[in-house]
Amino acid sequence: MAKRLKLIVSHAPFWHDGETISRMNLNMILALMPAAIFGVIRFGAPAVGVLALGVASAMLFEFLFNLVSKRPVTIGDFDAALIGLLLSMMVPATTPWWVLVCGTFLAVVIGKQIYGGIGGNPFNPVILSLAVLMVSWPGFFDVDAALVDYRFDFKALAPLPALKHHGTGILYYFSTGDLFMGDQIGAIGCMFPLGILIGGIYLIIRGYIKWEVTVSFIAGLVVTALIFRMADPEAYAGPMIHLFSGYTLLAAFFLVTENSSSPVNRIPMLIYGVLGGFLVILIRNVGVYPDGTVFAILLINLVNPLIDTIRPKALGRRVNNA
Amino acid sequence: MIKRSFLGLKKPELKYDFVESEAKEPDRIPEPSSIVLLLDEPLDSTRINLVKTGDQVGKNEKIYLYKNSREYVVSPIQGEITSIESYPGEFGDIGTYLVVEKSAHRNDGGENTEISGLLAKPTLEGAGKYLKTLPGAPPFDILADKNGEIHTIVVTGFDQDLGATTSQYFLSHFREELKEGIKILKDLTHVPKVAVTAPGYVEDQPGFEGMQLLLVSGLYPEALRMMIMKNHLNITVPPGKSCLDMGVCFMSAEAVISVARAFKDGLPDFEKLITVTGKDGTRTKIKAMIGTRISELFKYLNININQNDRVVINGPMQGFATYTLSHPVQPDMDSIMVQDVDDIPLISDYPCINCGKCIRICPANIPVNLLVRRLEANMFEEAAEKFDLQSCIECGLCSYVCTARIPLFQYIRLGKHELLQIKAEAGTEERNG
Repeated sequence: MAKRLKLIVSHAPFWHDGETISRMNLNMILALMPAAIFGVIRFGAPAVGVLALGVASAMLFEFLFNLVSKRPVTIGDFDAALIGLLLSMMVPATTPWWVLVCGTFLAVVIGKQIYGGIGGNPFNPVILSLAVLMVSWPGFFDVDAALVDYRFDFKALAPLPALKHHGTGILYYFSTGDLFMGDQIGAIGCMFPLGILIGGIYLIIRGYIKWEVTVSFIAGLVVTALIFRMADPEAYAGPMIHLFSGYTLLAAFFLVTENSSSPVNRIPMLIYGVLGGFLVILIRNVGVYPDGTVFAILLINLVNPLIDTIRPKALGRRVNNA
Repeated sequence: MIKRSFLGLKKPELKYDFVESEAKEPDRIPEPSSIVLLLDEPLDSTRINLVKTGDQVGKNEKIYLYKNSREYVVSPIQGEITSIESYPGEFGDIGTYLVVEKSAHRNDGGENTEISGLLAKPTLEGAGKYLKTLPGAPPFDILADKNGEIHTIVVTGFDQDLGATTSQYFLSHFREELKEGIKILKDLTHVPKVAVTAPGYVEDQPGFEGMQLLLVSGLYPEALRMMIMKNHLNITVPPGKSCLDMGVCFMSAEAVISVARAFKDGLPDFEKLITVTGKDGTRTKIKAMIGTRISELFKYLNININQNDRVVINGPMQGFATYTLSHPVQPDMDSIMVQDVDDIPLISDYPCINCGKCIRICPANIPVNLLVRRLEANMFEEAAEKFDLQSCIECGLCSYVCTARIPLFQYIRLGKHELLQIKAEAGTEERNG
């Protein structure tokens, strides 16, 4: 018999749409760039330092964990890089290095890897880590104090803490347009709503994030803020300042949509998003934290498995009541 | 290969191809001097065998491997069996290759007359015993077994999987023969309803009067059996049941036409039409005798198969990859597709990242993300009970879109296979006490 030709044999289907995890994550990172670059332009070298350390330490922790757990090295999927970038975009530019390294350790190792790595984490790793950092070292998250040495050509006052401490009387200080274009202070990647919006819409168009979650999160937030505003205009601010300041937009596009900790069915995605938006406003207006986004997301992560059981009947299955 | 579009928000659209209306008559591959016949039955030394190497077979002679075998092949040529080999298929399924060398002489002389006798005086049972290896594989054995239970026959004039226009070609070029075939089918089986699936464009074309057409949209997986059941026949198939259990039998247009031809000529014709897609995506239709090695097709079409290429039979979504170019043309082989080694998308052992793309695309509403976690952990019974393993219509779309490149379709097939094993074992234990 002639020399046997070896053919590749595998199971159907033999086509694939060509998508990979690393390409998905690179697109997410790309979408974060407008906001990140804006932060770098505003804060200069310290912001570069924080972002670089965040990405590098996150990837390093992932690599070390791969080695220790004797599993394949997975830093090539850029998931750790994305986590590091998001985390460092959510802290002020003056954050000490050790806080950041603690943060990426918490996010990558405690938030993701000990649950089995990508896809296994019940909580958004970035949010989990931020929650721990905010509770442990609240001082570093006081943006006004952190950025006291900077001089800006606009009224430098973090909107949400101002709102918390001074009430709605301070609202005249901020115009929606200025906030939207980035004339506000905050964490490195959270000051430029326009940039976040551009990146987020890019991701929605490319199909990389669950648009249902984003849209319903924003809708839930706006509607809840409006209800509060209508109930007592003296005590509560309108939806725009809530939408364009703090972590809101970054969360709407990049954090609540995190794959592993959010639902996959349509109705649960809508419930999840609305619940998230509602909780954010509830914590901001009634709770003690100026920005409730982090804790709101932790809470909706918690109910995700429960609401994701609402799903359509599979083909051939009949409804069993009646 | 159809890649993801830039606009990922839209569901990927896998479009069926439409047959060219002015297609030229497909070329015919010359009759090879040696053919391979595939029997769906493993070699078994404990049974009384009816064939051995060196045996002579006549043209149109039916071959059984063993006494009491139900599986048979009909040899389209006269010759001598020169080799009998085992053929490992999917999921441990084992078949048998019979190699037949063409020869002129014959010991007992004369052509086989059984088959021409049947064609002159047809019965359903006889058809089940002789005609299921005709091109298109008419399922007469099933129709005979389930006589009376089948209330609808669906003739597929629209290919189920992508990359093939074989059935469409028969539908659009041989309408009269199709009508004759349907008449023969009705007479033989007494099935009251025979419907024909067809691409939407035939609606305005003449020649389909009197046929009940089920017009299928051009988007995969609309032409799959389960989708036809759901969208056109309004029959709910419970999980774990087949279309046949619900009294619906599917049959390709080619099968119907080859039955019509066999009855008209009084002789079976074993020429199979195949859509061959080359590495560059060029599509050619070609006729080859059943049993022809697929390497002959590639030789004729000047397609070079190199080391580590992939040869996909019966469609990119549901078909299988063969490991040998000696694989024969089969009665149900509608398409062959060749993928260059560089074009083969690799799968991975990554876990599910829960992105939800499979959920969006699944036509059967299966919670694929939860299901695959059970299947990876060998929890097949739980997968079937709570996560709708059995509702899968096997379209393969979940694997097609999977970002983590998990072989989801393979997991599902494996799960179904294991579930059958578990049930069979449970049945045996019950019987043994």
